Amino acid sequence: MKKTGFLHDDRYALHVTGSYHPEVSDRIRAVYHGIEEAGLLPRLTMIKACLPEMKWIEAIHEKDYIERFSNACSAGKPQFCCADNQMCCETYDIALLAVGGILETARMLMEGHIDNAFCAVRPPGHHAERDKAMGFCYFNNVAIAAHYLQAAWNIKRVAIIDFDVHHGNGTQHIFEQDPSVFYYSIHQHPSFSYPGTGRDFDQGMAEGFGFTKNSLVLPGQGDDEYRALMTRDLIPAMDRFKPEIVLVSTGFDAHEDDDMSDVKLTTECFSWIMHTIMGLAERHAAGRLISILEGGYALHRLPELAQHHVEILLNG
Amino acid sequence: MFVSRSMTKKVVAIDKDANILEAREKMQEENIRHLPVVEDGNRLIGIVSDRDIRSALPHRSFEHFDYKKERERLLSLKVKDIMTVDPITVSPFYTIQDALLLIQQKRVGAFPVVDEKGRLKGIISVRDLLRAFINVLGIGEPGTLLCILVEEKVGQLKRVVDAISEEGISLGSILVARYWDQNKRAVFPYLLSQNVAPIKRKLQNLGFTLLDPMEWYLEQLPQGD
Repeated sequence: MKKTGFLHDDRYALHVTGSYHPEVSDRIRAVYHGIEEAGLLPRLTMIKACLPEMKWIEAIHEKDYIERFSNACSAGKPQFCCADNQMCCETYDIALLAVGGILETARMLMEGHIDNAFCAVRPPGHHAERDKAMGFCYFNNVAIAAHYLQAAWNIKRVAIIDFDVHHGNGTQHIFEQDPSVFYYSIHQHPSFSYPGTGRDFDQGMAEGFGFTKNSLVLPGQGDDEYRALMTRDLIPAMDRFKPEIVLVSTGFDAHEDDDMSDVKLTTECFSWIMHTIMGLAERHAAGRLISILEGGYALHRLPELAQHHVEILLNG
Repeated sequence: MFVSRSMTKKVVAIDKDANILEAREKMQEENIRHLPVVEDGNRLIGIVSDRDIRSALPHRSFEHFDYKKERERLLSLKVKDIMTVDPITVSPFYTIQDALLLIQQKRVGAFPVVDEKGRLKGIISVRDLLRAFINVLGIGEPGTLLCILVEEKVGQLKRVVDAISEEGISLGSILVARYWDQNKRAVFPYLLSQNVAPIKRKLQNLGFTLLDPMEWYLEQLPQGD
């Protein structure tokens, strides 16, 4: 059995997106209740959010962007950068707490207090670019965590495995030229899905060529294609890259009951995906893995998906 | 949407041991610029283009051009000597958008389309993509293209489309493009009618600015010195 950390904070629900938005506070409550009702909380190391040192955010996002975000919230603007990014005046602070909680989780992992962790945060991060908020994301949580691990803990090779059904454009672009961070994403084909990036032929640029890989799923496809693509693309890539730590951008929106995509993944296949990723982390990274919540909008499915996700982290 | 629908399926290919003059003749006969090179029936191993052949041919500006010697040299040159080995290929399940982006990125004119075993299934070129987009835009049919400047606000496109519907005009397609002004976009409805004076007046009365579509298009091209 593993020592699994669980980042949870009620304050993540304070980022309010309005009545008609899919990225709602209830998502985080659904995730928590699923884990709680399965009786898993006593087995987890609970982690609370805290504020991060700004230098970690500034390493990824432009200072001007951070300031504009802060000012927009202070001014009570209802959205930032685009209509998708509905927010309230608490959003900036909550986004800081998401980053801070994840960095605290990373610190605990590197100090050996936990073996792996699930960070159930809002707002999500993988669409956020260096200077732009989009796709419900403001700070690129997983990118900031990757940089922190390298700079503060001397980790040389970080793998980011993103199985949210939308391509993590922000994460890919941030590390596109960096051979020390391998970005893998499996997502709905960009010709049919937001954000329209993440093509099969994107492989990274300059020194980062060969350290980006996208696996594309067509509308209507599901379990069989996920298994085939991850077996064909992810496993050999990780066997070559040999990451020292695995960060997972965990999205549950590929689920067949989730309206945010046309992909039909079953609950069982999400478990297969996580088992596969855990196996890679065991093989290459001594099991070091941090899972960070991105998307997933089917409120009635989130409890069971979160429960299974955490059970797999616990059972190793 | 997929390359398999827009690609040329009856693809003309050539053997690696064919002579380059034979390759040139084939291109001229078939009016094509790219010849996939296959072996074992259908397995793709390379591609040769008209540019590769032109590069291999002698320059006529040489003063002491020895025609006989050159001809002998050319007759001995085979496709395998000048082809691109292991060219960039696409899958039949790539989308048209994939092919467009890749053509722009790699600056080539065509990609062989191969299946998972590397067998040639077709070829997709800039020409095929142009044809696909002409179909999508509906501009192969007779009609009139308008160019309307709209504010970047929600609801503007609806106003345009509503105005067109109220005039009873059929809409072939509608394209929305970035304009050079930060807060405005250019909307290009393709109207399946030549009687467009009334709709143009109506749009102007609603406060829209109409531009000559060609003027907008030319503004997007790189400006000369």
